Amino acid sequence: MPEHTPVLELSHVSVAYRTAAGPVQAVNDVSLVVMPNEIVGLVGESGSGKSTMAYAIMRLLRGNAYVSGGSIRVLGRDVYAMGRQELRKFRWRHMSMVFQSAMSALNPVITVETQLVDTLRSHLPNMSVSEAKDRAANLLELVRIDPVNLKSYPHQLSGGMRQRVVIAIAIALEPELVIMDEPTTALDVVVQRSILDRLQEIQADKRFSVLFISHDFSLVSELSSRMAIMYAGRIVEEAPASSLSSIEGHHPYTEGLLRAIPKLTADEITIKGIKGHPPDLVDLPVGCAFHPRCPRAYEPCRLFRPEILATESGRVECHLFAEKEVL
Amino acid sequence: MAIFEPSKADASPLMEIEDLVIRFPIRKGGKRAFITPVDHVSFSLRESEVLSIVGESGSGKSTIGRTLVRVNVPSHGRVLYQGRDVSHIKGAELRLYRSAIQMIFQDPFGSLNPVRTVEQHLTFPLRKYEQVTGDKLSARIDELLGRVGLTPVRETRSKYPHELSGGQRQRVAIARALAVGPRVLVADEPISMLDVSIRAGILELMNELKRDFRISFLYITHDLASARYFGDRILVLYGGRVMELAPSSELIRNPLHPYTRLLLAASPGNPSRGPLPETSNSAPNLLEGRRGCPFADRCPLVTDVCRDEVPDLVDHGTSQLRHFVACHHA
Repeated sequence: MPEHTPVLELSHVSVAYRTAAGPVQAVNDVSLVVMPNEIVGLVGESGSGKSTMAYAIMRLLRGNAYVSGGSIRVLGRDVYAMGRQELRKFRWRHMSMVFQSAMSALNPVITVETQLVDTLRSHLPNMSVSEAKDRAANLLELVRIDPVNLKSYPHQLSGGMRQRVVIAIAIALEPELVIMDEPTTALDVVVQRSILDRLQEIQADKRFSVLFISHDFSLVSELSSRMAIMYAGRIVEEAPASSLSSIEGHHPYTEGLLRAIPKLTADEITIKGIKGHPPDLVDLPVGCAFHPRCPRAYEPCRLFRPEILATESGRVECHLFAEKEVL
Repeated sequence: MAIFEPSKADASPLMEIEDLVIRFPIRKGGKRAFITPVDHVSFSLRESEVLSIVGESGSGKSTIGRTLVRVNVPSHGRVLYQGRDVSHIKGAELRLYRSAIQMIFQDPFGSLNPVRTVEQHLTFPLRKYEQVTGDKLSARIDELLGRVGLTPVRETRSKYPHELSGGQRQRVAIARALAVGPRVLVADEPISMLDVSIRAGILELMNELKRDFRISFLYITHDLASARYFGDRILVLYGGRVMELAPSSELIRNPLHPYTRLLLAASPGNPSRGPLPETSNSAPNLLEGRRGCPFADRCPLVTDVCRDEVPDLVDHGTSQLRHFVACHHA
């Protein structure tokens, strides 16, 4: 895999839900690139479309959700152009996903070992059972679980251990892309940290790419090199994670989020929320979707959707930045 | 009614929790056994003070909160409100006590009734506890909704919970708690289910209630950053026991207990954090009759004494800055 070919390439992707009131755009014209050996964070509040995005990439959208526009390429291949068999072989071998709820991602009546062995053997038919069992033990060690737990059923493990097993299954076939959707949100902070520390070590070793989806701004900024911030189905800003240590110079929504989080150690501990609440996707505001909550909104924000503008180190979707360039 | 008058601005604490123990029966190997999710916990709460209780799941923090509002009854020890033992009061007395102490829950979806309007949610406590009716009732509802920032009030009154956002729902839950004029609010993870942009607004609202009405808060959370932001003092709980108790900034700047240090090292947004010490992530043993410090199994500083003897909570601070720690090695 040449280093300059993106592992994941989203180009103008839209995802809609069919409803009685007509289609609702959950993801609206989103473009994003993830390069090899890179951890990219995708941050947003509930309803921003970040999980829908993840399911769309995996081609796991169900029920009334469908991709209504754009293309999704993983390793240069259009995920939606593949046949069923092709997709089945491609998924998990080249892209996998860690879901938020480990309890529902694991099969409750099958041992951890069998779940790992099944994953390996269904994609690597030439692998013998004993080989697969050895590999399963290695994988557990990789995520710091004692292999004595191979014979355990999911309910016998703690929440943190279950999530480690889910991660082990996701990286079992050494895919180039791992999508993680709030992988540690339900866990205690110490468990969360030790899982993420280990994840970073494994990632540095195996050099796969991660799209890390979370609502937790500080967590994602510590983990990823680049961050995309979603609001109402659109990426409103993309920036290097390091740039988020300063509040100024960002999209007003990003700035609002940065001001809303109490800092653990800083001396300055006044915080300020963003007024209002996330919009209803059925009834999105005209113009910039953030304008009713934006402290700096002016006339154009209420009328036109802002263009995507390149910044020094990323991009931003905001009229205020267009103004700057003219000046 | 005279028993639970708002306290004068004196130095004596509004609430005192003395040697609180909560036991729950469980079945272990077919036999009856007990766990003690709260194990000899003592602390006090002054008027207009916010005490943050920090701990992970299973630390006993919610059980303590539920005991303060008397959903749970202490198995041992006392809960004092204005110097009176309320651990075992019943009937009219208990009802009166509950107008002094109210609870806000984590899940504003679960704590509101989906088939009742906002107005109905507030009418009930006002009628039952305050005996307000008619125009006065309506005026009180408007006042409460205005106070928690649910404006325009007219529109909000007739709405059902499903028509509100998470943050608005939590505001309704706060208005309902305020309806009976409480002196203490037990807030159990009130912001952890809300969106990041909404959380600050709820914290700001609680800050105003503390300042304007001199309400005391027991703020239960797993998040050290918000515990420090909102709390005057932080109590760190592990396995049902108090590990450390100190003024918020002091605890964050100068953590003395190895568990507090572990929590700090693990919290996101800590620029100075080092690697996590190699410890197991096993859950604390809550079985009755366990020995030693509950944190011993995970503690990087553990020695033999930790496994045999429970460390006392000792003041390591000064007379101005009291800093309690329960550790043999502090």
